[in-house]
Amino acid sequence: MKRFMIVLKYELKEYFTNKVFMGITVVLAVLGAAALFLPRFVDMSDFTGVQVTGGGSGEETDGESGDGEESLYLYVDQAGILQEEALGGMFPGALWQEAEDVDALRAAVEAQEAEAGFVVTGATQYEYYVYNKAMTDRNTAVFDQAMKLFYRMEQSRQKGWDLAEIDAMYDVPITVTEQILNKDSGSNYWYCYMLVIIVFMLIVYYGQMIAVSVTNEKSNRAIEVLVTSTSPNSLLFGKVIAGAMGGVFQMGVVLGAVLLAYQANREQWGGMLDMFLHVPGEVLLAFTFFGLGGYLFYAFLYGAMGALVSKTEDISKSVSGLMVVVMGVYFFSLFQLMNIDGPVIKVLSFLPISSYSTMFARVAMGSVAAWEIVVSFLILAASIAGAGVLGAKLYRMGTLRYGNPIKIGTALKDMRKND
Amino acid sequence: MSARRSAQIGSMMKLEVKGIRKSFGDKEVLHGVGFYVESGKALGLLGRNGAGKTTTIRILMDVFHANSGEILLDGKKFVPAKHRIGYLPEERGLYPKRTVIDQMIYLACLRGMNPREAKESAKRWLARLEVSEYETRKLETLSKGNQQKVQLAATLVSDPEIVILDEPFSGLDPVNSQILKDVVSELIADGRIVIFSSHQMSYVEEFCDEIAIINQGEVVLAGRLRDIKREYGKNRLMLAAENLSVEELARKVEQEWQDLVSLSGRKKEFLILELKEGADRRGVLAALAASDVEVERFGSYEPSLNDIFVVKVGEDE
Repeated sequence: MKRFMIVLKYELKEYFTNKVFMGITVVLAVLGAAALFLPRFVDMSDFTGVQVTGGGSGEETDGESGDGEESLYLYVDQAGILQEEALGGMFPGALWQEAEDVDALRAAVEAQEAEAGFVVTGATQYEYYVYNKAMTDRNTAVFDQAMKLFYRMEQSRQKGWDLAEIDAMYDVPITVTEQILNKDSGSNYWYCYMLVIIVFMLIVYYGQMIAVSVTNEKSNRAIEVLVTSTSPNSLLFGKVIAGAMGGVFQMGVVLGAVLLAYQANREQWGGMLDMFLHVPGEVLLAFTFFGLGGYLFYAFLYGAMGALVSKTEDISKSVSGLMVVVMGVYFFSLFQLMNIDGPVIKVLSFLPISSYSTMFARVAMGSVAAWEIVVSFLILAASIAGAGVLGAKLYRMGTLRYGNPIKIGTALKDMRKND
Repeated sequence: MSARRSAQIGSMMKLEVKGIRKSFGDKEVLHGVGFYVESGKALGLLGRNGAGKTTTIRILMDVFHANSGEILLDGKKFVPAKHRIGYLPEERGLYPKRTVIDQMIYLACLRGMNPREAKESAKRWLARLEVSEYETRKLETLSKGNQQKVQLAATLVSDPEIVILDEPFSGLDPVNSQILKDVVSELIADGRIVIFSSHQMSYVEEFCDEIAIINQGEVVLAGRLRDIKREYGKNRLMLAAENLSVEELARKVEQEWQDLVSLSGRKKEFLILELKEGADRRGVLAALAASDVEVERFGSYEPSLNDIFVVKVGEDE
């Protein structure tokens, strides 16, 4: 234990005195926090739906863009049903003008003088003209609604119906008071989604970093001095846990800065990021145990893979198999979030390779008994210890085996021979 | 150095390697290697490249496991982890991006020192090896020779009772070699067990009381160096003349004194003669006195370790 602490301290010092590591931490934290302060300084109302208060006047701007510019939309109404005023209400920030004819409309759109153009050819049909159609273009969807409205208005007028009465009947407001007795999967879905991604990033990014730090000891030939100075268990456990702590520190600082910045600007964001950043305590607790446990489990395996090569450029070959497992679990977990109480996710929540994401997702969104959580965590804890011991043995076995990467099968076989 | 450590180093220890066999795959590379060394003495492990020296040392250090044989310290199984050992491996390496003092303290602590002792010892050894000025520098910024000295300081930083040096002189210039020679002499005088392998026979001759020559995985010659030299020099004489070249002298020996001596070898400055059965050095002296040879050097020939090594390893080829 004493030797482990010596290694841990030495390796941690490596991270915390590394200017690049600390620099990246600070830069990411500042950038993350700065992004969340943006709505205070930039009008992001289109995105956030919250109107920015302008220039200290305390008056809210209208729904148009801050600089008052309007986009020009043209129309040709061959059916004689359009109402410019109604269109203006449905397309905020749009200036509607009737074009002389279809050719004039087309020419204006082509010359990019107009944002878009609509040619209404009948009560229920129209043509849409646009120069470049953006992925987020919703003009036709909104115009469809407008056409439906105009159609209803025309029909009501012809048949002498009171459209307001019909609307009131169809769109009667319903009041619901939800009494969720267990979990709200809908709102918890996004926390889980985000946390699965965070653990995945921790594993992939910091796992690689841990593998590099182990390989470096072989490439700089320090390994022979080290394994003859203390036990491989102390060396690998110290190295991997220091790497894991470095990763958690960096991610913690960045996430902490983001969360604090969000808390300070929650109003400006209209609470729209609550679904990501307002994580309930029980989910965080499950994440701490399972997410970090899974991260540690993979960190040891990455450390072991690092010991199988002697050049850092060979690490990608060595960890490719592990990477496939991590990626598979990641995508499978995300897909299975929709079916959180299904049998597959139940099985996965007990496997150490996948419980890091599936068990805490079940805790957050599904039905899970206390014994299941305990059993799953015990399996994960035992697997972490097993991965550590196996990693240390592979590390020891890989000592002095320079040259080509050692295949995991060969390594395990040689380990049994106890060379 | 603590009182306990002083007492430990002061007490006599005997490290024995017995019948070590080692195979890599189907190939046996060590065929029963054995030797011993005691406190206050140095053992020179000699052999050509690939003879098995480094493998033997790695087995001693528990880096490799032997297939059979045993290693004993004072008659008990030797467990390297239970002792402070200064090991300089053939494959040198430390942390290039860490400061010299940091990694020395780290290694000393790993080998059982507390941080205060480790720092004192690190500073002491850096000073002893004349690299104190680099203690706060990153290792990679030092010259190769200074890195080598730092590596030696890191080997000795834990105040080891057993010192194992695999080719310690490689990469050192003559000045640095002299510093290392002095350090090794001090370690021996301090009562530590010193084992070192080297190709440079002159260093081995200088320090080692005992030698073990390993050839093709087995010890072909082992014992006290003085005895070995005496044995190999037995019945051999050296002869040089002022008025004759080595070649002329050799011809004279072969023509006139073939019943007394035979020509065993020739060096640049003198001949090596071997007494024939029944002859003695008085007879040779008398023959010399009666001849026209003006003797420059005459006496017992003591072979160098290099000669013995070449003869012994050559015999085995």
